Amino acid sequence: MGDSQYSFSLTTFSPSGKLVQIEHALTAVGSGQTSLGIKAANGVVIATEKKLPSILVDETSVQKIQLMTTNIGVVYSGMGPDSRVLVRKSRKQAQQYYRLYKEPIPVTQLVRETAAVMQEFTQSGGVRPFGVSLLVAGYDDNGPQLYQVDPSGSYFAWKASAMGKNVSNAKTFLEKRYTDDMELDDAVHTAILTLKEGFEGQISGKNIEIGIIGADRKFRVLTPAEIDDYLAEVE
Amino acid sequence: MALSRDWMYENNGGTCVAIAGADYCVVAADTRLSIGYSIYTRDYSKICKLTEKCVLASSGFQGDIKALQKNLAAKHLIYQHQHNKQMSCPAMAQLLSNTLYFKRFFPYYAFNVLGGLDNEGKGCVFTYDAVGSYERVGYSAQGSGSTLVMPILDNQLKSPSPLLLPARDAVTPLSEADAVDMVKDVFASATERDIYTGDKLEIVILNASGVRREFMDLRKD
Repeated sequence: MGDSQYSFSLTTFSPSGKLVQIEHALTAVGSGQTSLGIKAANGVVIATEKKLPSILVDETSVQKIQLMTTNIGVVYSGMGPDSRVLVRKSRKQAQQYYRLYKEPIPVTQLVRETAAVMQEFTQSGGVRPFGVSLLVAGYDDNGPQLYQVDPSGSYFAWKASAMGKNVSNAKTFLEKRYTDDMELDDAVHTAILTLKEGFEGQISGKNIEIGIIGADRKFRVLTPAEIDDYLAEVE
Repeated sequence: MALSRDWMYENNGGTCVAIAGADYCVVAADTRLSIGYSIYTRDYSKICKLTEKCVLASSGFQGDIKALQKNLAAKHLIYQHQHNKQMSCPAMAQLLSNTLYFKRFFPYYAFNVLGGLDNEGKGCVFTYDAVGSYERVGYSAQGSGSTLVMPILDNQLKSPSPLLLPARDAVTPLSEADAVDMVKDVFASATERDIYTGDKLEIVILNASGVRREFMDLRKD
């Protein structure tokens, strides 16, 4: 790595024009557990593997998919603690927006503000970039939306996307399977099949997490029993 | 009282009124600007258009009011840049409340009435105190003539109590033309007895077709 002599400081570019810390953050994301999201015609689904370090860990206490507002949910790939910090900040920003305008924050606005926070940490002294990429799923007056936010602070709207370990296989799979007129249930099935592609071991409601939001605009995480039902339908 | 370090406000007088209808909103204010027992000008607008669907009428210290209007317009511009659309009237109502409370310990000497169309196209009126306490109402009056105007509006527009027996119908919906006529009448009455109200009446009407302005002469004494 010829650039490594410049990677001790965030405020300097390497000669090749890269911010090496951000590259490293993306590597951290790329070695995290797979997560994905699919935007359907009438909702959005996000999902992730939930591989725990030991069978002794109480899996009911772990929740990787979280709510930012009642109508916006998020999943991450990368470092869990970093994601918790971002979710905390985003929740506060959403509440401040509501206090100012008495209207729920639009998805695009929340994504923009979250991305701005992540960018700050690539340009401020003494801090490192966040080691997570986020998939933000929401439903507002502009319909269902899915956004990916990277450690650099750049964000993109997706019809379907994946992040983490198995990203290239997962994206190829999604490219083949995605259709614009998918319903939410179809999207959940497709999400499960995509996770299954790179899954080591037996997939069940206990080792994956799925969050959905439909036209009711209420984001919720499926229970393990509901996931098992979808799994049965898929098989 | 002249401006000095321990009294930084003036009251320029005037009256503001707004009435909300099923699909319109009427916002009106006189155009007299006073100080003490003198008149600064007979031709000053107290009404500010904030968005295509939202109009602010304010009486009190016009110096503070001009600053408040600029503040809101700037915040609205940023909102438009970020959201690619204009603010709704209820959102502007909340923003005005927060802006006023932000200066809780050195308030804007402004008594505001915000009028416009809500997200469903219905008329809405929000009435404020100087530090941002607000409420959505069907009609309101603020300013030096408000104590003369409000009882008349209550008499004409207030809904009968739902507790009454025998049950009475809600007030029949007021047409836009009737609302404008009522506003002209109440201002003519307020002008008679309030020395700070008079000269000319400016009426702004918001409805689905846009924003319209009318003027009416008032007594100049």
